[in-house]
Amino acid sequence: MAKRAPAPKAGDKLTFLLALVPYLIDQVRVSVDEAAAHFGVPPQRVRDAVALITTSGLPGDDGAYSHADLFDIDWTAYEERDVITIIRAPVDEIPRLSSREAAALLAGLQVLAASPSFAARTDAVELMELLGRGASESVAPVAVAPSAPDDLRALLTRALHEQLRVRLDYVSTRGERQSREVDPIRLDGLDDVWYLRGWCLLRDSERTFRLDRIAGAELLGPAAEHEAVSVDPEQLFRPAPDDQRVTLRLPVSALPLVTDYRGPDDELSVDSESGTATLTLMVGHDGVLGRLVSCAPGAIEIVAPPEARAAVAAWARTALAEESV
Amino acid sequence: MARTIPVEERLFSLVLALLATEHGLTKHEILSTVTGYAARYATDRDRGSLERQFERDKEELRDLGVPLETFDAQGAENDTKFQRYRIPADRYQLPEEVRFTPDQYALLGLAAQVWREGSLSQDSRRALTKLRSLGLALDDAIIGMAPTIRTRDSAHEPLTLAIDRGQQVTFRYLKPGRTSPELRRVSPLALVHHEGRWHLQAHDDAADAPRTFLLRRIVGQVAVAVAGSATHRPAPDEPARALAELREIWQRTVAVVRPRPGSEADVVLRNRAETRTVDGGLEIHTTDLDILADELTAFGADVLVVEPASLHDAVHARWQAILERHG
Repeated sequence: MAKRAPAPKAGDKLTFLLALVPYLIDQVRVSVDEAAAHFGVPPQRVRDAVALITTSGLPGDDGAYSHADLFDIDWTAYEERDVITIIRAPVDEIPRLSSREAAALLAGLQVLAASPSFAARTDAVELMELLGRGASESVAPVAVAPSAPDDLRALLTRALHEQLRVRLDYVSTRGERQSREVDPIRLDGLDDVWYLRGWCLLRDSERTFRLDRIAGAELLGPAAEHEAVSVDPEQLFRPAPDDQRVTLRLPVSALPLVTDYRGPDDELSVDSESGTATLTLMVGHDGVLGRLVSCAPGAIEIVAPPEARAAVAAWARTALAEESV
Repeated sequence: MARTIPVEERLFSLVLALLATEHGLTKHEILSTVTGYAARYATDRDRGSLERQFERDKEELRDLGVPLETFDAQGAENDTKFQRYRIPADRYQLPEEVRFTPDQYALLGLAAQVWREGSLSQDSRRALTKLRSLGLALDDAIIGMAPTIRTRDSAHEPLTLAIDRGQQVTFRYLKPGRTSPELRRVSPLALVHHEGRWHLQAHDDAADAPRTFLLRRIVGQVAVAVAGSATHRPAPDEPARALAELREIWQRTVAVVRPRPGSEADVVLRNRAETRTVDGGLEIHTTDLDILADELTAFGADVLVVEPASLHDAVHARWQAILERHG
């Protein structure tokens, strides 16, 4: 998967060192490349770690480093064949998980357990219990209540597994109701909102459908083969060429509320004295404007272009008028 | 010329030294012999900065799950000069019975992939690094169905740390339905994800009552008090209780709305969890009527609030406010 690897922090590097040592001891002999692949790191990080480990040791009785206590490896094997063999090590224990590390995996399991594909896994409960015992303190208080899978998700999961074409009764963000035939590629849940990525027969290309905009779905026959383009779920919504640039003004305190509308090409400037932010972002079509200002109604003001401003005013006026009908 | 010792090397040396000692080491023994401190101990005039470094390192190790113990020397209780430090091997190492089958291990790999960005993704990555020392191969499995949850609220990491360390926190909070934030001082108890949002369960120390906060609405930095300053600590079942409470609020907080038939609002609200058709429209659930008001405002003319009247008025006021801003 193409994921940005964040730069490792000192804590990550220490964790790696503490985990690498028992692994190397357990493996007896392992090449640098194998160890790197096992931990999913570049080979250079393994070499750096070996260099660090072999210069570390324990203070002896007189406070000076004693060679007898140091790590030692088979240097010939390392230098000539790139193979690591630990001959002597002062530590061989596998470290416990921290309370937060255990909590992260446990809460992840809670999320998985709610998926139809995993609901049948009885060993998940045993696994959760096991993880709790692997933590150094009580597990950190983090929990997730995943949305229960509904009939629609169950149907689409089946379509995905059995490679069946589906017909969707879909309503777009523009409010257009359409019947779309789709060959499912994957289902992605992002913060409780589910998306179907699939080959759309109508558009003859890959499209993303939000499950909560699907009014109905039925299974058709077998799906056709398509060249799958794997997409990072966070990049499901790339700006389209006809998006318009819209500038809004809002209190800095309301900035987190528009996070879902932010993109990589936004321009943001903050006047810290007045606590006001000016944000320019890409908006798909006028229908999105009302939604955007509703993130913090009254606090967000569209300042440009004038047409967008007028569109929002008209949108609110219509809503108020409909209400009094 | 002494070489600069990287942080991880100093921490690694500290772990080795404290694991190896049976009777513990005093601060003096640590600072004068362990790599990363020893050279500075010999040359630095300012021992204070080195001691503060040691305090931060202890904190960092504990955050990483290393059980660093402090104990008083006999006859010198509470005298930090004679305090001794060690890491007991039996509490440091993963218990022998905690071993996984390849299937369970694969499931853990998938569980780690649930988290995107943020502190939970960092924590699960570190957990997998530790478990990799068990030697089982972990495929970067790609399943066709991947639930992911983001922890991108900037308050997430400082709050998990504060809960871990028992710290009281203060932050500015933009209450739903308000336009300006207010300062809150709380003892954080649990972080729970419910209906797509991260909630902080806490004891509000100013109000002396339990409160729930949305992480998305915490404004700016979370200020953290000293370790142990929290007035309340999480109960063992804190997250489960917090979720049960949110669930109970969700169950009893309902509104009736009338969406334009066939509109996006109609489809989306019908797909909302536990919506049912009632006389006069759709009965929908929420945990907070002010948040629901924002959500309904977004549908514009496609939705009409039937009841409660307070919600009808709240949505009306929001459209009015938007119109005034753009009129």
